[in-house]
Amino acid sequence: MSKAVIELRDVVRRYPGDPPVESLREVTLRVEPGELLAVMGPSGSGKTTLLHIAGTLDRPSSGSVRIDGVDTSSMNDGQLSGFRATRLGFVFQQFYLIEGMTVLDNVAAGLLYRGVDGRQRRRQAAVALERVGLGHRLVHRPAQLSGGERQRTAIARAVVGRPKVVLADEPTGNLDSASGIAIVELLRDLHRDGTTVIVITHSPVVAGAMDRRVELMDGRVERDTGGPSHA
Amino acid sequence: MRDTSRLAAADLLALASLGLRMRRLRAALSALGISIGVAAIVGVLGITQSSQSDLLAQIDRLGTNLLTVQNGRQFNGGEAKLPTAARLMIGHIPAVEHVSATALLTGAVYRSDLVPSYETGGIGVRATDVALLDTLNGRVLHGTFLNAAMANYPATVLGFGAARYLGIDRLDEPTRIWIGRRWFTVVGILEPLPLAPEIDQSALIGWPIAQSALAFDGFPTRIYVWAATDQVGAVDAILGATANPENPEQVAVSRPSDALAARLAVQSSSTTLIIGLGAIALLVGGVGIANVMFVSVLERRSEIGLRRALGATRPQIAAQFLAESLLLSTIGGIIGVAAGTIATAGYATLQGWTILIPPTGWAALIAAIAIGAVAGLYPALRAARLAPTDALRST
Repeated sequence: MSKAVIELRDVVRRYPGDPPVESLREVTLRVEPGELLAVMGPSGSGKTTLLHIAGTLDRPSSGSVRIDGVDTSSMNDGQLSGFRATRLGFVFQQFYLIEGMTVLDNVAAGLLYRGVDGRQRRRQAAVALERVGLGHRLVHRPAQLSGGERQRTAIARAVVGRPKVVLADEPTGNLDSASGIAIVELLRDLHRDGTTVIVITHSPVVAGAMDRRVELMDGRVERDTGGPSHA
Repeated sequence: MRDTSRLAAADLLALASLGLRMRRLRAALSALGISIGVAAIVGVLGITQSSQSDLLAQIDRLGTNLLTVQNGRQFNGGEAKLPTAARLMIGHIPAVEHVSATALLTGAVYRSDLVPSYETGGIGVRATDVALLDTLNGRVLHGTFLNAAMANYPATVLGFGAARYLGIDRLDEPTRIWIGRRWFTVVGILEPLPLAPEIDQSALIGWPIAQSALAFDGFPTRIYVWAATDQVGAVDAILGATANPENPEQVAVSRPSDALAARLAVQSSSTTLIIGLGAIALLVGGVGIANVMFVSVLERRSEIGLRRALGATRPQIAAQFLAESLLLSTIGGIIGVAAGTIATAGYATLQGWTILIPPTGWAALIAAIAIGAVAGLYPALRAARLAPTDALRST
C-alpha cells in the first residue's frame, strides 16, 4: 500500500460555544500522491475547515491528521510552520497578494520562509510566473492585474517551492467563467506534473474537471467518487 | 530537520520596511514625534555643553589662582579699610606669587571739567600699586600700565569698561580726563578683566599721587593675591588672619573664578527642565508608534494569515512587526539627532563657541530605539498570536 499524501482519520473539529458547533464530524479521507481532488458542498458544510486542517492551519479537536506520512498531532506550531513552508502550497479565493510589492516579489515571498536567498527566490519566481503565463508581468503591481492574472500570480506563489500538495480554497470564486476555466486548466497542468491538488469549490464545472469528487454535508463525507487508485 | 522555517536577517529588514513604504505619510508622522523628542534633548544638551565648555575654557584661561581680600563692606556700598601693613604681610606668605593693593577713592571721573558733577557713569577712582597688572594676569590694550615714576604724577590707566564709557578708544593724541578736580593724562587702557570687573569700571592712579593730590589716607581697601596653583586653598585659609591679625573675622576673602563656576550650575538646572520636556515628547512619540503599529496589525490581518500559510512561524511574524516598529523609531531618532546637532552647530557657531555634542545626546537615540521596541512589542505579540484561520477569515 502506497503512502497517502494526506490522511484524515475520524477528524472532528468542534468550536466551543453554547451549544458547541461541530464543523467536521468524524471525517475520514485519504488522498494518494498525484491525485486531483475536488471537495464540494454547500456553505457551512465544513469545506474550508477541512482545507485548513488538511493544510495544518488548524488542528482537529479529535482524530488524526497525517501528511506525507507524518503524524502532525504531536508537532508544535513552529514545526507545522516549517511543514507548510516546505511541503504545502495554498491558493485563496481572495488571492491575498501584497499590494506594496511587485508580482515577482509576491511570488518570491512563497520561498521567503525557507531561507532561500533573494536572488535565487526571484529566479525561481520568474520561472513559476512563466509557467502560469505571466512572464511579461514581473514588475507590475497586483493592482494593475486582472482578477484572473492575480489568481495566476497566487498559484505561481503556491507552487514556486514545488510543494507536494496544493490546497486551493474556491480559487475561481472571484473570477468570471473564462478566467475560471484558465485557472482550472492551470491546476490540471500542476496535476499532470505530479503535484497533488485539492480544490474546494461549489462550482459543478470546476468539480467536473477534477478526477475525484468528495461531497461534504453538515461536516460529514456524503459522497466520494474515489480516486484512480481506488478504482 | 529539513522542514523548518527560516528567515534571513536581511529579509527581515526588507519586511520591516515594507509596511513603512506602503504607508509613507503615516510612518513619517509617527516618526516625527520621536524626532522632536530626540532633537530637543540633543539640541539642549549640545547647546548647554558647548556653552559650558566655553565657560570652562574661560575659567581655565583666566586661572583660579586669583583671590581678593576685603575688609567687609561699608553701609554706603564703599569698601572698608584694611590695615596698611596687610599688603606686606600677605607678600610674606611663601605660596603667594603676586600681591597688589588697591584703594577705592571718593572722587569721581569725568571726560572733562564741563561735564555735570552728577554724571559719574559709575566709574570709580582707584589708587593702585604698580604690580596690579601682573597680579591680575591682565594685559594692556593701548598704551602702558603705570610704573613707579608715573605713579607720582597725574597719570591714569583706564579699565576697559571705563574707557568705553568715557568714549576713549585710542591714545594716538594726548588725552586727559577730569578726576577729583584735576586733569589726569590717560597713559593706558586695559583689556577686559573678567575676574576683576570692578577694575574694568575704574580709573587707576598711582598710590603717591593719590595721597598728594586727592587726600588719600593710604589705607588699602581691596588686595589682590595670585597664589601658586596647588596652594590656592592653603593661602585662602590664612589670608584673613594675615591681612588683619586683630580682626580676622572681618576680612572677606573671595575667589572670583567661583562666580563663573556658579554660572555652570545655574545653566545645568534650567537644562534639566527642557530635557524633561524632551523626554515627555519622546514618550508621546512612543505612544504614537504603538498606536500606528496596532492599526497596522489590524489592517494587515490577511497578510499575517497569508504569511502563516506560506510557513512563517509566530516568532517570525512578531519579528516582522517588532522590526517595523524599531525601524520607525530608529529613523525618527536619527533624524532627531541630526536636527539637534544642526541646531547646536548653528547656535554654537553664532556664539563663537566650539561645537560639542555630548555623548549623553546619543543616549537619546538609544532611548528612542528602546521606546520603539517597547511600543512595538505588544502589537507584534498580538500579530503573532493571531490564529491563521482567523486571520484568513477576514476579507
